[in-house]
Amino acid sequence: MTEGVKRYHAAFIAVELVSFLKSSIGFFLFLFILKGSSTATWVIWGRYIFLIASVWTIFSIILKWYFHCYEIVGDSIVVHEGVVVKKQRSVALDRIHNQVSNTTFVHRWFGLTSLTLETGTSGENATFTFPVITEEERQRILLSLERGEASIEAVAKGKSSNTTIHFRSTKKDLVRASFTSLSFLAIFPLLSAIYFNLADFFQIEETAENALDYLLIHWWMLIVLFVLALAISVGIGFIKTSMKYGNYVISDDSERIYIEKGIGNFTSFSIQKHRVQAVIVEQTILKRLLGLASIKLLSAGAFGDEKGQEKSSLYPFMPKHEAYRILQIMLPHYHIEEKMNRFPIKVLWLKLLQPYYLTILAIIGLMIFKREWLWVAAIVFGLTILSRILDYWFTSYIRHGKTVQIRKGGFTNETFVTHRERIQQITVKHSWLQRKFGVATLTFTNKAKPLHESELYGVSNKEAGTFYNWYHKK
Amino acid sequence: MYIHIEEPTETISKDAVKVWRISNTIGHLAAILIIAVLVVCTEMFGWYGWIGIVLYILGGIFVLSSIFSILIEPTYLQNTWRYRIDQQFVQMKHGKWQVQHTLIPMEKVEYVRTEQGPIMRRYGLYNLEIGTTASNHIIPAIPAEEAKQLKGQIAVYAKIQDEDAVEGASDA
Repeated sequence: MTEGVKRYHAAFIAVELVSFLKSSIGFFLFLFILKGSSTATWVIWGRYIFLIASVWTIFSIILKWYFHCYEIVGDSIVVHEGVVVKKQRSVALDRIHNQVSNTTFVHRWFGLTSLTLETGTSGENATFTFPVITEEERQRILLSLERGEASIEAVAKGKSSNTTIHFRSTKKDLVRASFTSLSFLAIFPLLSAIYFNLADFFQIEETAENALDYLLIHWWMLIVLFVLALAISVGIGFIKTSMKYGNYVISDDSERIYIEKGIGNFTSFSIQKHRVQAVIVEQTILKRLLGLASIKLLSAGAFGDEKGQEKSSLYPFMPKHEAYRILQIMLPHYHIEEKMNRFPIKVLWLKLLQPYYLTILAIIGLMIFKREWLWVAAIVFGLTILSRILDYWFTSYIRHGKTVQIRKGGFTNETFVTHRERIQQITVKHSWLQRKFGVATLTFTNKAKPLHESELYGVSNKEAGTFYNWYHKK
Repeated sequence: MYIHIEEPTETISKDAVKVWRISNTIGHLAAILIIAVLVVCTEMFGWYGWIGIVLYILGGIFVLSSIFSILIEPTYLQNTWRYRIDQQFVQMKHGKWQVQHTLIPMEKVEYVRTEQGPIMRRYGLYNLEIGTTASNHIIPAIPAEEAKQLKGQIAVYAKIQDEDAVEGASDA
């Protein structure tokens, strides 16, 4: 179907302008307010450059809006870009792995949204973004996406209007999240930033000294102030957490998983179930104490950065059994086994037997440069041993059916679950020393961005062989 | 104690040893030459004393490593390299002290190509490079005819198995 070339909504200009203002306000304040009375050459030049850059940016935003457009032709999306150099990109609809839409405050004013389609490839052409479109337009694009999928996969089974909601964050969840994320500690850097900024303007040091004297005499006021500060910080932490994790909804239908979240800045993410490459359960020490877990869905889409990882994670502060239950319903093939096998104790000895390069380096370096600090090498040695013991203690492995599950990590504990079909390649390695101990190293990679490589040191010979043949039979 | 893995059977060319010996000799000679020049420079221009010490250590390491990688390593590599290519998998194995088995399903193979340097041309050998989304692997020193044939074969097998569009539909 051809529905003609479309331009983005005119509010594109407003959205871009706001984001431009946001990024340039610092420069503006600095050049025109803080250094307002300055006549230094570089400040004056800076102002000119700033003005020219602003005018150019505004001009180019308008041009961009005028020239950028997109269309849906048959089974692919074509995007036209570029003001001077024209660029035309197209992608087949069935190559799209996930989709994200993000509605910021500005979007909301105009009743609009944005949409990003992510393909499985890497590079600068991996994502297709529609920065400002109407809700109906988004639906239309998504609909044609589904049509594309349906025609190619020929899955005619009952189309997906029946989504089930599995999780909706409550106030209780938010309180838990704001404490677990330690966001209430954010008050301290904030306070110190305010303090140092004010200190430049007023002679705060002197007044503060007087105030401190006063407070020390009236110690009860100190306590009141402290409680007050704590209350404010908890409040701020709660608001921040609510903005980010409020309205968290996890739902799915027969084909896709949907994750929606946010107050004010609203994000929705969806991924096709069969594009999930692996599932990762992450637990920090604090989360382990509180029985919480965060579950991430690994996909080949364009999630290079931290933010992307966050997008594809189920609610990061969910009670563990609850998270497992939801996962079990949505992705029945990713069964997480709680009971896992640790390696035999000889693996620990093997780990401890390996050369201590870092310690040796430290000794050599200190011998040459700072002989009296040689004791530092002992600390390095101790830490290395501790980390090796922890590493042994937390590494475990289990394989059942088509599933492989490994667990690693001391302070942050990570459980990784994937399927045979999802593994890109495997390597079995064994060094001379490992052979003496009858163990091997197992490495396998999963498609993700960046590539996810799992290495397991110390698997028994028997299991290494079985694993290899298990993968070979396919 | 050995791992129960069915070993791939194909071997690489015997000439690989010569190729590696020649190229490693050139590489190490160049490196040692550079270090020698730098040592002379230290003497002539009176650079800091520790630079000389570092250079001597480096030179020593290079001499040792050249003995290993010119005299010993090539024979072992040639002896232990095994590969096998069938309709479903590329299987590779190499190493003696550190034995490494790699297994790649055909459907994950993205491209295959052959390459040849000047020394290899003298012996009529090719490296076969197999690229996947994850990484790339080189099966070294395969006789020209065989390399060409393998390249074609892998291309065909990989093409047949290309089911990316319905990737994993079986377990979804």
